Amino acid sequence: MQHLIPIGLNHYLTISAFLLAFGLFAVMTRKNAIVVLMGVELILNAANINFLAFSKYNGGIGGVMFSLFVIVIAAAEAAIALAIVINIFKIFKSVDISSVDTMKE
Amino acid sequence: MHSLIQLSIVVLLLPLLSFVILIFFNRRLPRRGDFVGVGILGTAFAISAYIFWTVIVQTYDPAFRVAWDFTWIDLGKVPGIGHLQIKMGIVIDNLTAIMLAMVTLISLLVHLYSTGYMAGDKNYGRYFAFLGIFTFSMLGIVLSDNLFSIYIFWELVGLSSYLLIGFFFEKDSAADAQKKAFLANRVGDIGMWLGILILYSQFHTFSFEQIYANLAAGKFAMSNAWLTAAGLLLFMGCVGKSAQFPLHIWLPDAMEGPTPVSALIHAATMVAAGVYFVARIFVLLTPDALHVIAFIGAFTAFMAATIAITQNDIKRVLAYSTVSQLGYMVLGLGVGAYSAALFHLVTHAFFKACLFLGSGAIIHAMHHEQDMRWMGGLRRHMPWTFATFTLATLALAGLPLTSGFMSKDAILAGAIGFANVEGGGIYYLIPVLGFFSAMLTAFYMGRQIWLVFFGESRTHLKPADNHHHGHDAHSAHDDHHDDHEVHEVSWNMRAPLVILAVLSVFIVYSPNPLDGAEGWFMKMIKTPATVVGPANHNCTALHAETPSPLMAEALPAVETHGATDAHAVTGGEHAAATGEHAFADPRQAEIAHAAHAAHFPAIYISSIMVVFGISLAGIVFVFRIIDPDKTAEAIRPLYLFSLNKWYWDEIYQSTFIKGSVLLSKILSWFDTNVIDGIVNGVAVLVRNLAFANNSFDKYVVDGLVNFTAFSVNTTGAVLRKLQTGKVQTYVALLLVVLFGYFVFYFTRLIY
Repeated sequence: MQHLIPIGLNHYLTISAFLLAFGLFAVMTRKNAIVVLMGVELILNAANINFLAFSKYNGGIGGVMFSLFVIVIAAAEAAIALAIVINIFKIFKSVDISSVDTMKE
Repeated sequence: MHSLIQLSIVVLLLPLLSFVILIFFNRRLPRRGDFVGVGILGTAFAISAYIFWTVIVQTYDPAFRVAWDFTWIDLGKVPGIGHLQIKMGIVIDNLTAIMLAMVTLISLLVHLYSTGYMAGDKNYGRYFAFLGIFTFSMLGIVLSDNLFSIYIFWELVGLSSYLLIGFFFEKDSAADAQKKAFLANRVGDIGMWLGILILYSQFHTFSFEQIYANLAAGKFAMSNAWLTAAGLLLFMGCVGKSAQFPLHIWLPDAMEGPTPVSALIHAATMVAAGVYFVARIFVLLTPDALHVIAFIGAFTAFMAATIAITQNDIKRVLAYSTVSQLGYMVLGLGVGAYSAALFHLVTHAFFKACLFLGSGAIIHAMHHEQDMRWMGGLRRHMPWTFATFTLATLALAGLPLTSGFMSKDAILAGAIGFANVEGGGIYYLIPVLGFFSAMLTAFYMGRQIWLVFFGESRTHLKPADNHHHGHDAHSAHDDHHDDHEVHEVSWNMRAPLVILAVLSVFIVYSPNPLDGAEGWFMKMIKTPATVVGPANHNCTALHAETPSPLMAEALPAVETHGATDAHAVTGGEHAAATGEHAFADPRQAEIAHAAHAAHFPAIYISSIMVVFGISLAGIVFVFRIIDPDKTAEAIRPLYLFSLNKWYWDEIYQSTFIKGSVLLSKILSWFDTNVIDGIVNGVAVLVRNLAFANNSFDKYVVDGLVNFTAFSVNTTGAVLRKLQTGKVQTYVALLLVVLFGYFVFYFTRLIY
């Protein structure tokens, strides 16, 4: 198994970067509000991976604790966001956020 | 406060009360309120007569004097000068008491006379109001104890004179005359004010007493020439008011006023105020100033007398005679014959007022005819006027047994004495001119009497074209007299004539018809001790080193002027001998002394001159041995010279008036071209500046504002595009910025 490259920090960071990129892409391009929320979750998880990776290579328990907080807050965030989405649907009869531009005023 | 002071304040304010009542209410009063004027003046005269009685008859003290003053304006402490205040006050001495009685008496008589003379005039009530304010101001001059209030009242008499000369202001000639009088007086008053200021700058007081005390204490810090200048400048006020050469031109024209006014103001009182004022300031006049005054007086007396002999207007003859007599008074003061000059002032006031009122009666009776050529034969129609007029004429001419004789003789004796003391040939010009004028006076008054009262009426000889050219024209009056019957005037015009004529007789003033010095007047009015004599180097320094043995003999002091100590003693002895007081200035004593010595020569010469003058008038006009017309033809240039009043009006016209007009034109040109040019230039400059400013505003300031607006607008338009309201756009922007930041940050990190 010697020809296999051992998994190091850069691998974690790369995956995290991809996740962030995908998350951002979803947030910026999708029209469905639910998908946008899923993008946001991807970004948060990209951050979590970063925290855990650094925690592993740096030692200590700070990163782990941080990611736990992030998960908790993500759950709360998801609840609030879904509530917003439901309200948007109530007002606009759609969850297409490209049609929601009342902040322009 | 002395009771006499209180009474004099009442006398002073009564005519003012008359003025106030009449100027506001004359139309509401019966008879336009003339009885108010007469009644008030009667009261004022009664009080004045009481003052006169108390001061002159009861007290009978040459040194009598009561004074009272109060602080009028308190300026407080003035830095560099000290406590400064302006005081007003009243002084009563013998001269004041006499003047007070004289002014109120003549004013009362003129008020009374005017009720007849001015009857029917449309401004009848206002006329009496003006008389009231005049009398008030004249009494103010008489009573003042300081230069400041004298100046105020001086201007007030000028004002009332102005109002009364122009009483018939619808006539152009009257309006012109009043302006002329006012302007001529103004010239004199400016000088007077400057003189007051010279004294005030030295002593910081206007009061006569304090000024004299300071002068006597030698506190006049400037040179003697300044004191002479101050005296002459103060004398300028007299030159204007008393119509002395060169400001005499206004008085004859002032005859445009109503004739009683001429009697009151332009013969008896106001014009005499100038002489009175010089008498008040007499003690501060330096010998140099007195010489100038004497020469001006002598020249005026002579010049006016020569003019009077050819005038045809009855009032103009009297006007020039007034100028001439005022010249005598000024001459008298100038030569140091102080009491004689004031004596003449009083006697002249009475007989000249009588003459003017008489001429008013004649004019009234002749239906406003003033030209003597068309009169004649009036003695049969107007016996009262004839008698009083003749008596006053004799007094004016100076025939013995009249008051005028005594006073004029005293002045001429003073002139001879003065010339003797001064000793120079040129100083003899003064008595010579005086005597010659006395002869001329007798001549022109003889001519007037003859033309007016004797012979046959010449009314029919008058050219028809200017027949109804009335002088004091009040047409309402003319209607009653279409028959042209000359008649005697009514009692209210006759009574003043009689009273004034009686006051022209010698016995009123002196028991001895030949010597006024024996009368109460000359005894009560003494030459005051000069306060400048010792300071004058002409007098003391010169003679301290030339004690003359001649001087010890004293009588009459000839050849040198001034005095030594020895002479001063002699003067003192003489003073003691004659009951006079000692003179501070030996020169004065000497002149008085010499005048006394010259008394009899003066009597002889002046009597001869007067008799000669009257006889000449008789020869020329009564017996026509010398035909006046042919004589006038023979000496035509001289005749015209006199008839045209020495061409003074023309000379002033071509010099001062033309000069003023020329100066005005130059200044007008300067104004229109230079001053207006500057103003217009400034205006153009401002306009151009405004244009530039406007352009700057329009293009630069507005440009900047508009540019700001434009750029904000543009930026807004661009930025508005970013504000889509879509969350995703914002996220994208966030990323762009973040990316930009990273790029920037890492670029910095690399380089």
